[in-house]
Amino acid sequence: MIEIFQQSLNGLAIGAVYVLIALGLTVVFGILGIAHFAHGSVAMFGGYLTFLVMEKFGIPFFTAMGIAMVGGAALGLVIERLAYHPVQDAPHINAFIIALGLTMMMEGMNLLMFGADQVVIQTPYRGVFHIAGIAVAELRLIVILTACVLVGAITLLIAKTKTGKSIRAVAQNRQAAILMGVNVSMVSLVVFAISSALGVAAGALIGALLAIAPGVGEGLAVKGFAVLILGGLGSIPGAIAGGLILGVSEAMAAGFISSAYKDVIAFLVMILVLLFRPEGLLGKR
Amino acid sequence: MKTMSKKFAFTAVIGILSASLGGLSWATEKELVLGVNDALTGPGAVYGLPQSNAVKMAADEINAKGGIKAGADIYKLKVISNDDKANPTEATNSVRKLIDRDNVKYLLGFCCSGSTSAVASFIEKENVVMLVGNAAERAITAKGIPNLFRTRPPADFTGAAAGTFVAKRGAKNIAVIGSLDVSFYTQYLDAFEREINKAGGKIVAKETFGLKDRDMTPQLTKVRALNPDALLILGYVEPAAFVYRQATELGMKLPRYGFTSGSEEQFLRVATSEQMEGVWDLRPTELTVEALDANAKTYVANYTAKFGTAPSPSSPYAYDQVYVLKNAIESVGSADDTKKVIAAIRKLIVPKEAVMKYLPTAGAMFDVNGQAYTSNGAFQWQKGKWVYVSDLPSDTKTYSDYLRSLRN
Repeated sequence: MIEIFQQSLNGLAIGAVYVLIALGLTVVFGILGIAHFAHGSVAMFGGYLTFLVMEKFGIPFFTAMGIAMVGGAALGLVIERLAYHPVQDAPHINAFIIALGLTMMMEGMNLLMFGADQVVIQTPYRGVFHIAGIAVAELRLIVILTACVLVGAITLLIAKTKTGKSIRAVAQNRQAAILMGVNVSMVSLVVFAISSALGVAAGALIGALLAIAPGVGEGLAVKGFAVLILGGLGSIPGAIAGGLILGVSEAMAAGFISSAYKDVIAFLVMILVLLFRPEGLLGKR
Repeated sequence: MKTMSKKFAFTAVIGILSASLGGLSWATEKELVLGVNDALTGPGAVYGLPQSNAVKMAADEINAKGGIKAGADIYKLKVISNDDKANPTEATNSVRKLIDRDNVKYLLGFCCSGSTSAVASFIEKENVVMLVGNAAERAITAKGIPNLFRTRPPADFTGAAAGTFVAKRGAKNIAVIGSLDVSFYTQYLDAFEREINKAGGKIVAKETFGLKDRDMTPQLTKVRALNPDALLILGYVEPAAFVYRQATELGMKLPRYGFTSGSEEQFLRVATSEQMEGVWDLRPTELTVEALDANAKTYVANYTAKFGTAPSPSSPYAYDQVYVLKNAIESVGSADDTKKVIAAIRKLIVPKEAVMKYLPTAGAMFDVNGQAYTSNGAFQWQKGKWVYVSDLPSDTKTYSDYLRSLRN
């Protein structure tokens, strides 16, 4: 029994990172209809940047992550303007191809800027608490809490602010939003900035929990899309539920079946959900 | 008539001079290219890059002292280093380029078993000498390939010694977590398990992780529930470091025995010294602080000065390869005939410049399988450093005979 709780807790921390990645993907997909594959590479960029800021200036982890998130948001603005804005009225396939090209470009840029070596972000959170036989690592708890804070902030932004209202309007009906005077171009920029900031946070947290290296970004992006499908395309609650479910089911599969099939089993769960509920768990029919 | 005789005499003198000069041999300076094939990037780079650096350092040292004096020739060494990313296909392509395009006759490096085994599978047909370093897969020297020599002992030679050591420390139920789809780790484990079983103990779990995996908490959680009294970790430095770190994060307080090698710096990139405290590494003695003699001390100082970082414990396997070649070529008097060099290597005693402590078999550095042996040691992480605690008694002769028997 204790083992089940322990595996679940382990999985929740990774799941929290998946939630952040998936949130970044779902806001872009839900509002702009773009499958932003380069999101994983943006996350890695953020992780590397956090590490660099910490190493070079001795800045503590969360401050460094904040700085990297601002940097990430700026990168998101650049990506939106240069890559996706020119094809916003073109057939969807164009944006799809651009997304793929952007992924390769960002991976290459990360390699050039940060090198090929693995990077582990060392934090001072090394405590371990024992609660009813379960070991709760301080770092894992902090990752979960950070994700909660960021998810809460985004939810508040979208639900309670004027910008959030504009975003929801564009998501519901882009043409109607234009007719109502919503600055759709601005909304697009804001959405990309939010998405990239969330991605950067995920990258920094993964760097602290595990490591950043070439190839990790792609894996995260793929898991992110899996969560999207699982939770429902464009659904924020779906991304949250899907991310946590995926993280926990991976930990359970690795712990109780075999770690060799960890990734396979995660996708198996996704396929099962799609067979019985194709719109995802919380997507609209 | 007088003019013609003078001319004739002059020409004759010139002719005689030229003929006699032609008969004199000058010391000619030649270039000897060493081809290093190693993992310079990727998960194997923790082993491969220091090896490549070590070869370059040895070559520079030899050149600074005037090169290799073989007979009438002086060879200045040039090193070409290729990155095979520890990938079998890349390694095959890179060695083919070295042999076919660069006309290299001497191949060095070879940190990682997958890529090395791929090259070993065709090297017998080539007119080259292949010197293998850190790659631990037994089959590499079990086949008796005549032009292949290895400075590092096979994994199971160390595994048996490690099993005896762990059993003597009282562990009866041992959980294993490792890259068990890599055959040399399985070989280490098989030999280890035999010794544990002989002492009445048993292996209660065998969990796997991939060479690129970083989250081993599911496997560790599973193992923790079985209440083992020791943990054995078999893997490359980086995933092993994650295992050590995550074991403490899960509150596991049992002895952790590893077979990873790796320098302090390499581990500290992933785990803190507190998380590593008490971890054992049961491996070939390699570069050992306590047992450092003059060669090893000089090696560490020179490597650190040249590359700005401490050498990895296994890097001297490649450094010693260069001196093996130097001594063999000097005894032959030429580097051109690889067959003669091979014969010289077979008879070679341990070079005086060697950094690792080799155990000769019948007085020679390499046994009948082309395999050299170092002693095995138990190392423990104490306050930020790997400390040599004791020797792991190992029987070289028995193992050498056993390795020979696998050829049939």
